[in-house]
Amino acid sequence: MDTSEGVPAIETTGLTKAYGGTEVLSDLDLRVERGEVVGFLGPNGAGKTTTIKLLLGLIKPTRGRAAVFGLDCGAQAVEVHRRVGYVAGEANLWPALTGAETLHLLGRVQGSVDEAYRDLLVARFELDLDKKVRAYSKGNRQKVILIAALMGRPDLLIFDEPTSGLDPLMERAFRLCVSEARERAQTIFLSSHLMSEVEALCDRVGVLRKGKLIEMGSLAAMRHLSSLSVEATMQGELPELASVPGVSGVEEDGQVVRCQVQGSIEPLMKVLSAGGVTRLVSREPSLEELFLAHYGEADHHAGEGRPGVD
Amino acid sequence: MPVRADLVSTDLAERSIGPSTTSRSPRTVVASLTTRKAIRSGLLWGLVFGVSIASSAISYTSIYKTQAQRDALAAAYGSNHATSMLFGPAPDLGGVAGFTVFKISMTLMILGAVWGLLFSTRMLRGEEDSGRWEHLVVGQTTKQGATGQALVGMSVGAAVLWGITAVITVAVGLDDTVAFSIGASLFFALAMVASAAMFLAVGAVTSQLGATRRQAASYAGVFLGLSYVIRMIADAGIGVHWLVWASPLGWIEELGALTAPNPLALIPIVLFTGSLVIGAVRLAGARDLDASVIADHPRRRPRLGLLWGPVGLGVRMARATVMGWWAAISVMALLYGFVARSAAASISSSSVGDVFKKLGAEGNGAKAVLGACFLVFAVLLAFVATSQLTALRAEEAEGRLEQLVVRPLSRSSWLGGRIAVALVVLVVGGLLAGIFTWFGSASQGAGVSLPSLLGAGVNVLPPAVVVLGIGVLTYGLRPGLTSVVAYAVLGWSLLIVIVGGIGAVSPWILDTSVFHQMASAPATAPRWGANAIMVALGGALALLGVVAFRARDLSGE
Repeated sequence: MDTSEGVPAIETTGLTKAYGGTEVLSDLDLRVERGEVVGFLGPNGAGKTTTIKLLLGLIKPTRGRAAVFGLDCGAQAVEVHRRVGYVAGEANLWPALTGAETLHLLGRVQGSVDEAYRDLLVARFELDLDKKVRAYSKGNRQKVILIAALMGRPDLLIFDEPTSGLDPLMERAFRLCVSEARERAQTIFLSSHLMSEVEALCDRVGVLRKGKLIEMGSLAAMRHLSSLSVEATMQGELPELASVPGVSGVEEDGQVVRCQVQGSIEPLMKVLSAGGVTRLVSREPSLEELFLAHYGEADHHAGEGRPGVD
Repeated sequence: MPVRADLVSTDLAERSIGPSTTSRSPRTVVASLTTRKAIRSGLLWGLVFGVSIASSAISYTSIYKTQAQRDALAAAYGSNHATSMLFGPAPDLGGVAGFTVFKISMTLMILGAVWGLLFSTRMLRGEEDSGRWEHLVVGQTTKQGATGQALVGMSVGAAVLWGITAVITVAVGLDDTVAFSIGASLFFALAMVASAAMFLAVGAVTSQLGATRRQAASYAGVFLGLSYVIRMIADAGIGVHWLVWASPLGWIEELGALTAPNPLALIPIVLFTGSLVIGAVRLAGARDLDASVIADHPRRRPRLGLLWGPVGLGVRMARATVMGWWAAISVMALLYGFVARSAAASISSSSVGDVFKKLGAEGNGAKAVLGACFLVFAVLLAFVATSQLTALRAEEAEGRLEQLVVRPLSRSSWLGGRIAVALVVLVVGGLLAGIFTWFGSASQGAGVSLPSLLGAGVNVLPPAVVVLGIGVLTYGLRPGLTSVVAYAVLGWSLLIVIVGGIGAVSPWILDTSVFHQMASAPATAPRWGANAIMVALGGALALLGVVAFRARDLSGE
């Protein structure tokens, strides 16, 4: 009987990891409910992989606590692992083993395998199991660890850049697997650089920046954080938009004017209508734009160059 | 507020194409990287070579002071074909030069060859295995260019090895009691380093032949074994000494360094090394990256036999190498057994027996000879333990361990399993040494019992267990230093054995060698109490290592 009913799939409290006095993850408070699909975004060095390694007990926290299904990630790592499937960003496997041998070994160590589902996954990912790992491409090695993680139907799937090396068709196959897992009420924690992937798959998104969780919420909620992009083509003289309430980032290009709007769009619409607008394009920000809005170029580079941190 | 992505990418581009601050030429980066590693390794092994030579020379002059003692030594070994087979001919044991050649040259030749083949296969096929080679050869070089550069770097390492060996040999040769001329010292150092140079080239070629570093090292190891066996047959005194010209180790023997210099024997060495270097570069250019000259079949039916868990995986991964070690130990044991009786006959006189004892043997007759031989097995098994530790660390450093311990497998189970595998490898190795020595000695009627030799086989295990324990503790605390510490303990202990066997070493220093507490079985009865303490010590260190491993972060390279 599952005695952990009611507790979240993932819960961290003040989770901190420091290397040589430098904190690469600071006071992370994170809660992922069962059955949720949560995306984890951040540039290199933000602390995504560090978080995942702490959740898996591969590294020890400097302070704070991490729990999976109520189990301590350090002291009860084996019990945690019984309920977790993990896909690393880099598939380091035994070169002399074939794909079939690798899946057999990892299945034996995991202890439970849905063999019919494994066969379905092998077919779906078009993996040649008789090939040695040494002869696999990076993408095929990634398929092996994806299948190995999924075939046990674990309660929690943790993905760290899972589709690196996969072609678009295989990315689609991966998304199908995530959808199936969601239907089976499996919890998914997905760290990715691919905004489209996170946008397509996740219910909620967390954004890490310099080791701190700066945002956590639904995609809809996060969109409110950003402005609307507007591009208007004018008939006559371009109107003065900089002073319009909520408008910023005005750019002019011939008869075209572009700007961002925060809050109500009504004042801008009034000015544009009065100026003779002939074409108007507005759109919500993509997750990528949201992501960049949170970082700015300086921050985007700030995490680079910190060894061993992600 | 949205940020213009073009600014981000422009800035990145500027960073990446900005002026380089490195002084290393992009065309010689492989040579630079290899040279750096080769110099470090050459320095270390040069010290081992030099100190070994110096200790042999100095000890001879301090122990065999009278002509009578020297004559007795010469009588014992001067015309003994059995010891000639094992260690090479004893040219002139009446002098320090001949003794030094006899005592140390074969050991250094083999050490040099093993260093050369391991270093070369690591820097070539090992780099290709890891995927780093690909990044290098897509730079301003080609596959053959990168291979040539790596060989240049290795040749610098060999030159450093020679330089350090030569400096120490010249220094000791200046001592009046040793009295080697500078030219003779330089030539002897050259002879001792020649096997390293040749097997660097052998490793370069086998790195093109084999699909993995393990295969490449195995091919080179087989070639070394064949070279040794051919030389043994040539030196067996059965009228086929000409065979010595068919073995690279034989060519070094024919150089006659320190005793009867014959520089003409350098010709096959230079031709052999040069042609292998050219061959390696050409083969590197002719084959595809990650491919091998000897076809490696990329597909096969699954063999699931041992893949029931991490211990089975450990056995599967280690079995080819371990079988090689076991085969080598068995063959050596058989040969030692064969020659034990005839070697014993040479030391029948009491004065020669005394001399023999000074060489490290205890007891009398064939047992005394085998007592010295089993020290070699102790060293070999300690080396096997270090190689197991290196493999252990590689699993974590190369990220494969992560695939196991993110599943319901505790770290202590994994490490405990691997330690158990290593112990089985060592125990079987020790027993094989005992059994095959018995086969050999029984066939010659040496009169040494099987239980006595099995006891000797078990007796050589405790030093290896201590090395294993120290290695596991290091792995638990500072994984990056595992191999360095294990090899340092082994190297130091070996050095102390070489120096201490001659005498004039403080008991405190002798005690730092893991081999020092080991009885010279079967010449004397094993000291089971001391053995138990060593095993307990090794076990305790390993246990602490497991505890430390559980408490630390996993780490990559």
